[in-house]
Amino acid sequence: MRFTNTMDRPAYRWPRGVRIALWFLLIALACIPFTDLEISSLDPWIDLSRLLRGFMAPQLMQPSLVIEALLATLAFAFAGVGLAVVCGFVLALAFNNPVMRGFCALLRSIHELFWALIFLQFFGLHPLTGLLAIAVPYAGVFARMFAEILDQVPKQPEQTLPADTGYLSALLYTRLPLAWPHLVSYTSYRLECGIRSSAILGFVGLPTLGYYLESSFSQGYYPEVAALLILFYLLVASKKLWLRRWTFPVFIVGSPFFMGEGMPIIWGNVWRFFSQDIVPAPLRGSDASWQSLIDWFTHILIDQALPGVWNTLILSQVALAVTGLFALSLFPLISRHCFSPAGRLPGHLFLVIARSTPEYLLAYILLQLLGPSMLPAVIALAIHNGALIGYLTGRHSNEIQLRHDAPRRRLDRYCYELLPRTYPAFLSFMLYRWEVIMRETAILGVLGIQTIGFFVDSAIQEIRFDVALLLILIAAMMNIFVDLIARRVQRSFIG
Amino acid sequence: MSALAIHSGPLGYDGQTVLQPVSLDIQAGEQLILLGKSGCGKSTLLNHIYTENRKECALIPQGLGLVDRLSVFHNIYMGRLSHYGLLHNLRNLVMPAAARVDEILPLLERLGLSDKCFATVADLSGGQRQRVAVARALYQGASVLLADEPVSALDGPEADRVMSLLNQHFNTAVITLHDVERALRYGQRIIAIQHGEVVLDEPAKRLSVNTLNAFY
Amino acid sequence: MFRVLVRGLLLMLLTGAVNAAPVFVFTAIPDQDETQLKQRFQKVADYLQETLQTEVRFVPVKSYAATITAFRNNQVQLAWFGGLSGVKARELVPGSIALAQGIEDPEFKSFFIANSATGLSAAEHLPASVRDLTFTFGSKGSTSGRLMPEYYLREQFGESPDDLFSRVGYSGNHSRTIALVESGAYQLGALNYKVWEAAVADGKVDTSKVQVIWETPSYPDYQWTLRGDMDAIYGEGFSERVQQALLNMTDPELLSSFPRSGFIPASNDDFEPVRVVAKQVGLLD
Repeated sequence: MRFTNTMDRPAYRWPRGVRIALWFLLIALACIPFTDLEISSLDPWIDLSRLLRGFMAPQLMQPSLVIEALLATLAFAFAGVGLAVVCGFVLALAFNNPVMRGFCALLRSIHELFWALIFLQFFGLHPLTGLLAIAVPYAGVFARMFAEILDQVPKQPEQTLPADTGYLSALLYTRLPLAWPHLVSYTSYRLECGIRSSAILGFVGLPTLGYYLESSFSQGYYPEVAALLILFYLLVASKKLWLRRWTFPVFIVGSPFFMGEGMPIIWGNVWRFFSQDIVPAPLRGSDASWQSLIDWFTHILIDQALPGVWNTLILSQVALAVTGLFALSLFPLISRHCFSPAGRLPGHLFLVIARSTPEYLLAYILLQLLGPSMLPAVIALAIHNGALIGYLTGRHSNEIQLRHDAPRRRLDRYCYELLPRTYPAFLSFMLYRWEVIMRETAILGVLGIQTIGFFVDSAIQEIRFDVALLLILIAAMMNIFVDLIARRVQRSFIG
Repeated sequence: MSALAIHSGPLGYDGQTVLQPVSLDIQAGEQLILLGKSGCGKSTLLNHIYTENRKECALIPQGLGLVDRLSVFHNIYMGRLSHYGLLHNLRNLVMPAAARVDEILPLLERLGLSDKCFATVADLSGGQRQRVAVARALYQGASVLLADEPVSALDGPEADRVMSLLNQHFNTAVITLHDVERALRYGQRIIAIQHGEVVLDEPAKRLSVNTLNAFY
Repeated sequence: MFRVLVRGLLLMLLTGAVNAAPVFVFTAIPDQDETQLKQRFQKVADYLQETLQTEVRFVPVKSYAATITAFRNNQVQLAWFGGLSGVKARELVPGSIALAQGIEDPEFKSFFIANSATGLSAAEHLPASVRDLTFTFGSKGSTSGRLMPEYYLREQFGESPDDLFSRVGYSGNHSRTIALVESGAYQLGALNYKVWEAAVADGKVDTSKVQVIWETPSYPDYQWTLRGDMDAIYGEGFSERVQQALLNMTDPELLSSFPRSGFIPASNDDFEPVRVVAKQVGLLD
């Protein structure tokens, strides 16, 4: 007998995780008509081939300058991350306090380049600018991660301590040693991010690699660009060789000596910045009124904040979707269930290069090659973040044990075995990355793409720090908001 | 005089009751043994007693509560963290104070761990770890011992040595065990728990191995 | 670890403080290729050091705004500004004075350039057919690459560049503007006429791919600006000595790197027209 009544056939419903991803994909598709994805360069291949030829014959500019820049890049990364670890740890201890939590969220929702632009206004090109630009947002990141790590530590050792044990004693003897390996491995990962951030700070004038990269690139000296990039990759790839338990303190102590001398700090400038520069313009004169403040605010909101926020939103949603697709298609390249060890080598190489190139730098390069539109930004964000998530997902897939009679055909194996098993991890990486992509999208505006960073940069170029700060805060709110949504989605997915 | 008075409501976690309300008076000098199948609520009761009376109690939880990355010395020293100021604790963490080492070495000797003073806990065997937790309780100097299966990982003679050490050291104790003979040997009062309820509360001398085996 | 870090920080702050010895520092707006700027201003630094008998240092910066900020923060005392950046800087630092300008600067102008593929050629006015093309300024804070071109565009078409063109970008500096229009990344651009002429003379431009299609009327532009409190720090008459040193710059090699044929005295009032225009365009409050 055949069932002909469809009512009896159980309806198939996609799993929740798939539905979440489809929503994101739909949103991205809806954004595409508003996204400017044109290749406006008449002949992108000319510049691209010149860049590739540069890689064939890299050429070092003055070696002494480059070595100085390399050392400065490391110095800012180490000192910045070192300071952030200490501050972040202290903040992590107070993380239960909602005010503290909000404060940390604010610190990390402002991109390090924005922090650098802020500090530049009153410290100028002093090492402190670069140091704090890394330390401040990283402290916020560390606070959250450290608090989570300390929270997940087994509770029993602390519970068995005598009743009146002091808070710090208990921390030092139980939670800290219990959490130590996780704290160390997270710090080490962050250090790698710190090196990337530090390199990027050169774009605003600090004496790190980015400084020379920007110069060489904007002048079209591709062999020099290639040499600098290769050096940067070697630096990141060889981290395991030079970063040891005992070298870390050496680097920290040594770092202040390699940050360049910059210009002297004049503390009066700091006071002026806070007491005048960031006060909204209509409040500065003697004829301040609520009306003028409201006019000022609505003017900025309509002309700058709204278009900036809108562009940031659509661009980051498109970039997020492309990142996901990219990661899902990349991770089999390094999965032991798909390729032999030798076959995985090219995949590993590609992923290492792609994830150690900061998206800001990638976007900068692609903007030169493809011309100004949102396309370079989408590609840059997708390559960097997709490679990172692809790497994490691939690593996760390698921990899976497949049954012996697992499907032979790679595509079957991918669809029926690997994808379903790695998908939850993939989705949480993506949700975590969402906020990062949004923050990066905002900052790419500094390169000329009309996200909110573009308007921040304009305000700074016009010496209107009140406007710049307001826009930076709006960008920060946006990131905090996305972070909240991401966590909610994550919880609904797990729960 | 009663050392601990326990009057609990229903106990449990995640909204599930594991143990019905319990009323107990434990006299000073009384060695009380809790018996029952695993999952019957012994540990729940022990933990309840501990949270209500932290000040007087030293605890040996089932999971031992050791910090794996620290040395045996430091784990034992933790029993007296509250005795000393932060600075002393800090200094002792970085560079163990000779006076503290001298206090702890005899304990280690009695527990057969004298060669392990500065060994990392992570490198020890299960039985050695259990003895470290015992040493921590001994070092703490509290008046009451609360111990959850303190000798489960030790062999017979070793287990007896540790039990009598605990017996001498703490004159008031609440200890969970699953070995009935050992319970009769070291307990003055025995409480059995079954299906989340106290079903027996008698002095040890009135009980025999056979009566107690009924609860397993 | 804590202590190590604190020590490092202290050291850094100390070195910052020691640096406060009055080295005379100057900077310049990064309006062109950096290598050229560095060569140019290192020569100027050497010349000034010799002439003024005090230690002189040139500090390069990455943006127009950074030049103004460094000047305002008293981290540099002298700067080679464009018209707009100079006006802003002097407004922010009361007492500062425009000392000298190039002989060409009172009659400066901007060139509008177009990629050959647009088919546009030189004319008396910008043709109406520029509408909906893509267009790049130089730096956001440039006079000849942003302010004046925008002013004349608004004057001629009665609308903002964003409404007029299909895409408006900011290349960053004049050399980049040439490169971007030449490569076709943008169809049109506007820039400093001196940079264009020098690039053409040096053979750096493929004039078959990019040509000048319009030149603006003239306006005042670049100048050297000095902070007002210099005499108190470096001794009576220091400001005049700096001015004299700049005006006496006659070495053709030095001058050609700017490129200017010589320097003449300037005053703050010379740049009033720039201020008025900047207010109209909305780049000044």
